[in-house]
Amino acid sequence: MTRSISRRAALAGLGLAAASAGCLGRTENIAGRDPPEQLTLEINATPADADPNGIRIARQLEEHLTAVGIDVRLNTVGQTDLWRKVLINQNFDLYVGQFVETEPFDPDALYGLTHSRFVAESGWQNPFGLTEMAVDDLLERQRRAAGRDRDDAVDALQETVCELQPFSVVAFPDALTAVQESRFDGWTEDRQPLSVTGLLELDDVAADGSGGGGSATNASAGGVETTTDAAAADATGDALRLVTTDDRITENWNPIAAEYRNHGTFTGLLYDPLVRADGDEFFPWLATGWERVDETTLDVTLREARWHDGEPVTASDVAFTYAFLRDTSLGNVETPVPTPRFRGRSSVVEGARARDESTVRLTVADVNETVAARALRVPILPEHVWSERTGAATIAGFEFDFETTEAIVSNNPDPVGSGPLRFVEATAGESVAFERNPDHFLVRSTPEDDADASGETADPRAGVPSRYHGKPAFDRLRIEVLPSDISAVESVAEGLADATVSNLGPESVPRIGRSADARLVSGRSAAFYHVGYNVRRSPLSNPRFRAVIARLIDKTAIVDGAFDGYARAATSPLAASSADVPESVAWADGSDPVHPFFDDGGSLDVAAAREALREIGYRFDGEGRLLSRGR
Amino acid sequence: MTPFLSVLTSVVAWVVAMLVVASVAVIGPARLRETWSGLRDRLWDARRAVAVVCAVLIASAVGRPPLLDVSRLFGLQATAFIYGLEGGFVAWVQATFATPALTAYFSWVYVYGYAFLLAFPPVAYLALPRTTTFSRVLVAYALNYGIGLVLYTAVFAHGPRNVMPDMVTPLLFTTQPDVMALTSEVNVNSNVFPSLHTSLSVTVGTFAVLTHEEYPRWTPVAVPLSLSVVVATMYLGIHWLTDVVAGFALAFGSVALAYRLVEPRSDPGVPRDGPEDDQPPSEPNASD
Repeated sequence: MTRSISRRAALAGLGLAAASAGCLGRTENIAGRDPPEQLTLEINATPADADPNGIRIARQLEEHLTAVGIDVRLNTVGQTDLWRKVLINQNFDLYVGQFVETEPFDPDALYGLTHSRFVAESGWQNPFGLTEMAVDDLLERQRRAAGRDRDDAVDALQETVCELQPFSVVAFPDALTAVQESRFDGWTEDRQPLSVTGLLELDDVAADGSGGGGSATNASAGGVETTTDAAAADATGDALRLVTTDDRITENWNPIAAEYRNHGTFTGLLYDPLVRADGDEFFPWLATGWERVDETTLDVTLREARWHDGEPVTASDVAFTYAFLRDTSLGNVETPVPTPRFRGRSSVVEGARARDESTVRLTVADVNETVAARALRVPILPEHVWSERTGAATIAGFEFDFETTEAIVSNNPDPVGSGPLRFVEATAGESVAFERNPDHFLVRSTPEDDADASGETADPRAGVPSRYHGKPAFDRLRIEVLPSDISAVESVAEGLADATVSNLGPESVPRIGRSADARLVSGRSAAFYHVGYNVRRSPLSNPRFRAVIARLIDKTAIVDGAFDGYARAATSPLAASSADVPESVAWADGSDPVHPFFDDGGSLDVAAAREALREIGYRFDGEGRLLSRGR
Repeated sequence: MTPFLSVLTSVVAWVVAMLVVASVAVIGPARLRETWSGLRDRLWDARRAVAVVCAVLIASAVGRPPLLDVSRLFGLQATAFIYGLEGGFVAWVQATFATPALTAYFSWVYVYGYAFLLAFPPVAYLALPRTTTFSRVLVAYALNYGIGLVLYTAVFAHGPRNVMPDMVTPLLFTTQPDVMALTSEVNVNSNVFPSLHTSLSVTVGTFAVLTHEEYPRWTPVAVPLSLSVVVATMYLGIHWLTDVVAGFALAFGSVALAYRLVEPRSDPGVPRDGPEDDQPPSEPNASD
C-alpha cells in the first residue's frame, strides 16, 4: 500500500516536471493508472490452545502461499470470533476449521453447505458463497433420486465439488480422547467417542456390582445440593466429569447459535430431535414413527414427553419449530431470518401443521426417504419459550439493523428442552453442570406391570434401540474448562476427570500413555478439517485459482506431522460417510487425485506452482510477488 | 488439592523463603528492626502511592474480564502483524538454545523468580528512611499495570506458542502443566502485547541500578534475574520479541514517569537529611 502511494507521489512530481515540457497527456495516461499490488490473503484460524491441529494446517498453507509470492496474514482468533467472522459476517479470505458433524453424514449435508439458494444467508448454509448451477442441479437431483440414480448423482456431486473447491478437504481426524475407565466404560472406539450417542451408550462401572454403589446413591440427590458441594459430590458420586478447552458451552446453550456450537453434542442432549441416527440406522426418538402419506406429505406421531419445565411436548411445538427454523422472526422482521444451523435439512420441510395433540403433518419437497428422515433430525424447540424471541434483536432496547432476531443472539439461559439431560448451573468460562432428566422416556419404566391399568399405553421407548434404555448412565454431567489440551489430559491422568472433550494435539498422546489410569480412545471423526475460501472475493472467486491453492496443501505432510498419523487425508468431504466415493475423487497412493500437491521430493515445488499460476493468467513482478488487480 | 492451589502454595512458600533470605542479606537486620518500629509512619507517608497501586490492582482484577470481551470485539487484531514483523524469531531462540537444564531454569524464573523479583523491592525500599523510592516503585508498578491493561484492551494478539505450535513448544506448560492452572487464572492467552513480565522485571531492574548506592547487593541479583525473566518470556514461547520490546519501553516510561510524579519531599517539618538518604537529585536519572 505505502509503496504504491509513494510511487504515485513520485509520479505526481514527475508529472509537474513533465507538464512544463508539454507532454501532460501522456503522463496523465500513466499516472492515472493504478499500479498492480502484491496479492494479500488473510488466513483465519484458532490459536493452538483452542485447537492444536487447525493452526498447523494454517501454518503450512501460510508458508506455501508466501513461497509462491503471496503476502499472507495469518490471523488467530478465538473459536466464537472465528465462526462469527466466517459464518455470520462472511468477512474472511481463507479459514481453517472443522466441519460440524462428527458422525458419518448423509451426502445431503452438502446441500446446506454449497447450494446457491443460501448465498444471501448467514450461518452454516453456504458460508463460502458458492454459486454454481452444476452443483445446485446435482444437489437437487440427489434429493429426488433414489437407489442407483441417487448414487450416480452423489458421485457426480463429489466430482463437481472437488473440481470447484469451494473448500479444500484436508483430513479426517481421529477424535483423540483421554478417558478414565474406573467409573464409566463403553467408550465407542469406531467413531467420535464424545458424541450424543456415544455419551448415551456409556455404562456405569459401579452399577455392574463393583464397589462405589453406596456413593452412587449418595449423589442421586445431586440435583438439590448447593453449588459449593456440587463439585465435591461430582468427584465421588455418579457424575460424568468432562474437561474441555472450549468454554462456549459454559455461557451459551442456544442450539441454533452457529458461532457458539462446535458439534452441538451437549445441546443435542438437551434438545430431542424427532429422529436420531446412528451410522446408517435411523430410529424414532421424540417421534414414535413417521409415515409418508404421499410424495409431499409426511405424518409424524409424537411420543408422550414433557419439556424440562413440565409443559407437555405437543404437535404444535413441532410445527412451530419448522416454521421457526425457516424464519426465526416468524414474519416479525421484514425479510425472513433463517436459522444459521440445520438450515439445509430443515429446508426440506416446506410447511408443518398440527393435526392433533400428537400428530403433525409436514409438507415436504419431492425428496427420497433418506433426505426426508434427515429433515426430521432437527432439535424440537418449545413454542412457549421461543415464540417470545422472534422479535428483531435489540441492544438495551434499541433496534439496530442487524437483520437478526433475539432467538439467534440469545444465549438461551436456563435452556428448556425435552432431552435426556437438563441444565443445572454454569459459571461462564469455568464450568457447566447438567443432570439426568428423570422424566425422559429413556428412563421411564416399561409399563408392563401396570399395562392393564392404563389400557392401551405402549412401551414408552418403543422403537428406540435397547442400548439406550435407562440411559444416560450418569446422574450428572459436569464439564470443566481448562486452559489447554495438555492440562486436560493431565486432569484425566490424575483422576480429576473422566474424559477430555476438546481436540487433543499429538503431544498429549504420550502423556496418556505414561499415565497408569488414563487410556487413549480414538475413533475417526467425520468432522473433516478443511480450508474454506470466500468465493465472493477475487481472486478466490476463480475456481482455477482455488485449484492452485488446493495444490499448495501437502495433506500427507499434515497428517504425518501435525496429526502425527492420527488422521486420514482425503479429497472428498464424504470420505468418512457410507456413501461410495468414486475412484476419481478417492485418496489413493498418498496423493490427491484431483488437486495433487506440487511435490518436489517432500517439499513444495515453487517453480511448478508459479508456472501453474502463470498458466491461468496470473503475473509476478521482478521480485517474484504475485500481482493482483481490483481488490 | 487442586493444581491451582498446590501451585499457589508452592509459589507463596518460595517467595516467602526468598524474601526472608534477601531481607537479611540485602537490607540487614539493623535496618529491618528500624523499619518495623517506623512502619506505620512510613506507610502513612507513602499512603498516596499505596492507594494508587491498590486501586490499579483492584481495577485490573475487576476490569479484566469485561475488557477482554471489548478487546476481542473491537481490539486491533495484531497477531498477523506481529508475526509478519518478526516471523520465527522465538522459534529460532528455542531451536538454538533449548536444553532441559535451561528449560528448568527459565520455567523456575518465569514463575518463582518473577514473583520474588516483584515482591522484594517494596520491602527493601520501605526499609529506607525516606519513602520517596518506595512511593516511586509503587507508582511505577501501578503505571505498568494500568498502561498494560489499556494496551491489552486495545491490542488483541496471541503469542508464538499459539501461532506456531509446529515450531514453538509451550515449554513451560509441557514441563510444568500445573503452572498453567495458575497463569491462566491471572492471565489469558490473548493478552500478550506488551509483555508485563518484561516490563515489571525491567522496572525492578532499573530501580535496582538507580538505587545501587543504597543496596549494592541487590543490583547484581536483580539485574540478571530481571533479564532472565525477559529471556524466559520468549524462550518459553509465551511472548513475541515485539511484546518484549514494548515491555522495555513501558518499563522505562513508567520509571521516568514515576520519578517525575513523586518528587523527593523537602519536608520542612523534618529537616534532618540523613546521609544515607540518596534521592537522585535530578530526574534524568530515570534513564529516559
